[in-house]
Amino acid sequence: MPRPLRWVLGLGLAGLLLVGGLLLLPFSDWLPGGTVGDISKQEVVNGTAFNRLFPAPGAGEEVVFSQEKRGFSEAKLKRGGELLALLAISDTTTAPEARAKFQSSGQQIKGWPLVEQGPQASALLVADRFQVKVIGQGSGLDPDRRHALLGAFDLPRLAALEPSAGAMGKQLPPASGEPLQQLAPNAEPQPALQPAA
Amino acid sequence: MSRTVLERLERLPRRDLTVLALKGISTLVPGGWSNPTSADQLIREVIGSNDPELIRQVRARADQLSGARAEGYGRALSLYDAVNRSQHATGGLRFLANVTAGLPLLKRISSITPPSDTLQAVDLSLKVGAELLAFTQVNGLPGDSFGDFGAALADYAGEARVRMAALICFDGLLPLGDQALQRLDGLLGAAGSGELRKLPAYGRMAALIPGRGDEAHMGFLRKGVDQWLGWAGGFVGQLGLSGQRAVHALEGSIGPWQGRMDQLAAFLDAFTDTYAHTGVQAVARRLVERAAAEI
Repeated sequence: MPRPLRWVLGLGLAGLLLVGGLLLLPFSDWLPGGTVGDISKQEVVNGTAFNRLFPAPGAGEEVVFSQEKRGFSEAKLKRGGELLALLAISDTTTAPEARAKFQSSGQQIKGWPLVEQGPQASALLVADRFQVKVIGQGSGLDPDRRHALLGAFDLPRLAALEPSAGAMGKQLPPASGEPLQQLAPNAEPQPALQPAA
Repeated sequence: MSRTVLERLERLPRRDLTVLALKGISTLVPGGWSNPTSADQLIREVIGSNDPELIRQVRARADQLSGARAEGYGRALSLYDAVNRSQHATGGLRFLANVTAGLPLLKRISSITPPSDTLQAVDLSLKVGAELLAFTQVNGLPGDSFGDFGAALADYAGEARVRMAALICFDGLLPLGDQALQRLDGLLGAAGSGELRKLPAYGRMAALIPGRGDEAHMGFLRKGVDQWLGWAGGFVGQLGLSGQRAVHALEGSIGPWQGRMDQLAAFLDAFTDTYAHTGVQAVARRLVERAAAEI
């Protein structure tokens, strides 16, 4: 094959790769900003603060954390590899409509209003801000077990998070509020940088 | 990407080559795989209820979350898309080289394409790296300790077993042979940053990978692959995966294959979207789990 033709072919292939791989890429996703409901991240309590408020697993069970974002932390309750329930704490600052359902609530756990959502989900609103939820998975959990799990969360400390946490999200060190002091260094993780550790 | 995660889930193909390839591989994995493409069905499974009002609320919340760039769900999908595009490009090249090797005039194309083993190893490590990056975008850094993070990662991989089996078979065992996982580290050690640059997805991911410059990125990918290898090795042993079994499983759904295994791998890379397809499904599940907890 003549040399020029070789070059043309090579360049043509390289050009195809460039077009296919680089020019058609969507970059918009990677722009900063774009928070939930356009509420600033500082107003939302970081999910790291919720992690140690989850209930301790019973015998033969384990709690595996699955998601942690600003204003949200979720874990899975498992027994012998089988998924029993999703446990979650969320900050309703970004979802104020979630608070409405508690107004008609008749039941309470440890003084906080309780609501059932369908046959498998129970939710608790703590300090009029944090929603604690247990959703039965797979074969499901009966309401009593779900309520026991809700009661096993560290509700007093969750309620105590409220006053300073919103302002403290990014400010280190915290001015007050002992329970958060140890959590603060983790307050703003850089997700993309961590997996190498 | 302007489409929400759940919209993309519902637009996934119900029956094409990608689905057939995954169906084939899923016969090797206990529990199987049902190609979930209905958002409502997924929501019903997670909340354990048929109440249309609850489903509507979960869906509205999920759409709001996937529209928020900072939450990372859309970013994870764009990572998967980038890797998918890169896979098509390199797979297409390899396939072209195979096809044209028999034609006199076009024979030279096969001599232009890079040696496939090293490139394939780098491609696999890039996919594993993208998987780690996407995991942190979707799930954040769950738990307070590194142990928690490792447990969360293993849990996620266990949930997406067909996805992992497809990754290991299509990008490891078929093109690199049954010793792929053991050879991977050596191949990566031999690979220079030049190989990395040949992959179209790399340009896209470079800004996201920790460290400056190709050398540092290569280091990150090797570390990520090391962690993943430990898990993948156990997975392969547990299921008894091998190239031969993968070919048999695929023949069951796609049809008989006469060529070599690496040709099959190039063919699958060029013409299927298994990585992005299962990626959308995995992200959608995590998104719905979160939305259900927040409504």
